[in-house]
Amino acid sequence: MSGAAALEADTGRTAARPLAQRLVGALWRALPVIVVCIAWQLAPTIGVINPDALPPLSAVVTAWWGLMTDGSLVSNGMTSLYEVVVGLGLSIIVGVGSGVLMAWYAPVEAIVSPLMKSLYPMPKSALIPVMILWFGLGPNSKIASIFAGCLLPVVLSSYNGARGVDQTLIWSALGLGASRRRVLWEVVIPAALPEIMAGIRNALAISFILMVAAEFLVGQHGIGYLISFLGDGGVYDAMFAGVLTVSAFGFLADRVYLLFMNRMLRWRE
Amino acid sequence: MAGISFREVRHTYRPPRGKPVLALEGVSLDVPDREFLALLGPSGCGKSTLLYLLGGFIPVEGGAITVGGKPVDGPSPDRGIVFQHFALFPWKTVRENILYGLEKQGMAKPEREKRAQEFVELVHLKGFEDSYPSQLSGGMRQRVAIARTLAVEPEILLMDEPFGALDAQTRALMHEELLAIMRRAPKTVVFVTHDVREAVYLADRVAVMSARPGRIKEIVDTKFKSNARGEELLQTREFADKVDHLWKLVRDEAIRAQGTRE
Amino acid sequence: MAGMSELGRREATLTALRVGSGIAFFAAWQLTAMSHVFSDFLLPSVPVVFDRLWHDLISGDLLYGIVLTLIRTFIGFVLAAVGGVMLGVSIARIPAVRWFFDPLVSVGLPMPKIAFLPIFMLWFGVFDTSKVLMVAFSSIFPVIVEAWAGTQNIDKYMTWSAMSLGVNRHRFLWEIALPAALPQVFTGLQVALPIALIVDIVCEMQMGGEGMGGSIMTDMRFADSPGVFAYIIAIAIVGMILVKAMEIIRRRLLVWHQETQAA
Repeated sequence: MSGAAALEADTGRTAARPLAQRLVGALWRALPVIVVCIAWQLAPTIGVINPDALPPLSAVVTAWWGLMTDGSLVSNGMTSLYEVVVGLGLSIIVGVGSGVLMAWYAPVEAIVSPLMKSLYPMPKSALIPVMILWFGLGPNSKIASIFAGCLLPVVLSSYNGARGVDQTLIWSALGLGASRRRVLWEVVIPAALPEIMAGIRNALAISFILMVAAEFLVGQHGIGYLISFLGDGGVYDAMFAGVLTVSAFGFLADRVYLLFMNRMLRWRE
Repeated sequence: MAGISFREVRHTYRPPRGKPVLALEGVSLDVPDREFLALLGPSGCGKSTLLYLLGGFIPVEGGAITVGGKPVDGPSPDRGIVFQHFALFPWKTVRENILYGLEKQGMAKPEREKRAQEFVELVHLKGFEDSYPSQLSGGMRQRVAIARTLAVEPEILLMDEPFGALDAQTRALMHEELLAIMRRAPKTVVFVTHDVREAVYLADRVAVMSARPGRIKEIVDTKFKSNARGEELLQTREFADKVDHLWKLVRDEAIRAQGTRE
Repeated sequence: MAGMSELGRREATLTALRVGSGIAFFAAWQLTAMSHVFSDFLLPSVPVVFDRLWHDLISGDLLYGIVLTLIRTFIGFVLAAVGGVMLGVSIARIPAVRWFFDPLVSVGLPMPKIAFLPIFMLWFGVFDTSKVLMVAFSSIFPVIVEAWAGTQNIDKYMTWSAMSLGVNRHRFLWEIALPAALPQVFTGLQVALPIALIVDIVCEMQMGGEGMGGSIMTDMRFADSPGVFAYIIAIAIVGMILVKAMEIIRRRLLVWHQETQAA
């Protein structure tokens, strides 16, 4: 399997080792991050690095707290979260549906599939300007960009997942008297689930990227806008705080999704 | 002199997670020069581990393994090895695979090209010199592996279930090829297998290993008095008796191995 | 070789299907535009957009933009490729390096690295340097991951065979490890290149400086919708060409690989 897949598969498993041992293990693994944090605090403080370019960690944390307490981080964060949830959610609903239907009904596949594969390498961020033209400067253009960017990966993985379902499984079910529609729901979709879920994980990462990119470009609200605004205003420690916050969110979203995915796919070995 | 000697060899397998497992215990065995010895036993008995220790791929922790009187210290072209899944270099052609060991020995270009071609022909792969392993069948790939190992003219040949990945027909052909090669240029061979008939057919002696922790249970002489070869030999009474005897020995150990599976 | 012509035939059929569906796509577009369900602004007709593309092509603006984008993309990509392979291989082979970078890489991989754009702008300005570095930063992660995995997962028995045949410890990396890891490393590069292009376009959209991203943003600001659509098509074509080019290079480079043979 690909390197990324191997790395990602690893994080889902927990060995049944004593808690103390696992805590120590976690600490050891976190140590490099701690080292970086210490370096981040010391270097600008001593002056090795210009503190205007890289504010010390303490200043960033203070600024972060300031953003939390004055509500701007939360309110902008909510807007961004809303954009991601709606955009990604729509792309999942439409994408999984289309992908599976494409795999199941041959005529649809013949027409749409080559088009999908051709459009796949299309840089999704290039769609942002069109979405802005169509939907204006507010959250809707961001939602539309996310939807457009995430749709194809979800469709493709749903399609591949459904198509890859073992023919013998399908034939067995049909042979047992199930209707085509029931086979679709009860055999094909569960069997395709691993690949569909992997595709959604990919789309999750894309959704964050598009949300941030779109908010950088235009808009008056959202965490990307906030970061941009702070940067323009020269408030760099708060800007760094914003960047770290959205990065942490991207990371956490991925990890949480991974846990969810592993739960759903427990039957897989 | 390339006699091999194992003295009280023991080995513990330490997985990255989980408990250590005693794989080999007190293995003692002598393999005279030019003998073809088969190591036979159920899965997990440690026969491959013993081979890897002899090859120098795993360090010897307990006991001693000597070759020609000198202890084993790391891999060496003197102890050539052939693996079950061929382990060829996929980005190199057949010829380049065979040339590799010769290049490492610092042989001059014209000489090594000549030697490589000799070995290509020895294993009947003429015409495929410029093919890649991915283009070849399993049997052909194993022949490349054998040629690659033999080209550096090792004194000892180690074979780790080399025909296990091949179908029955190909395996039978490979048996004949191996015997023919050995007749032309005899070497000391240590051959690991779990196939009783293969062991009896190919080897001069068969060492049966016990279930884990592995030790040598019994050594059976399998040189044949009759002059029959190939198909004929397989039909003789002598052959059947030996197979039967060894089969019972191995079966007992296999049952024991099932019992201790954790 | 019968295999070759079969491959050729399959490629031809695939291409025909792609072209066919492309035509269908544009036909659908045109029909929708002509029905005037959407205004000319929202959905300009196909001829208008193509006319605009042609116009920009002749005037040289389009090519200029493409070249600029490609240069930035490539420099960033090469930085990511070289740095990523070196780092990935080191992570696989040197425990200390692995200890340090393992958490950083696994944390960094799912992060929206585009969020660091303002930081890069702060540090490196708004010209080419920051764009190239941002591209490199974003696309290095998949390269590291694949180079790491490819080097780490080399077949143990193949390594042992090499050792048995007398490989020198110092030459092992070049002679055995890297060629063996190449398929996976190249996969990492194939993932990284489209990322490089996307990120570069976003940087251009944000910072200006022409290139395709800059041009499309300019057209958007002037509400020049045929221009926006024209650039989307241009960007899509460039993206497709890059991916296709990588596939062709892969087939040449990895001619020995079983996947290539199986095709």
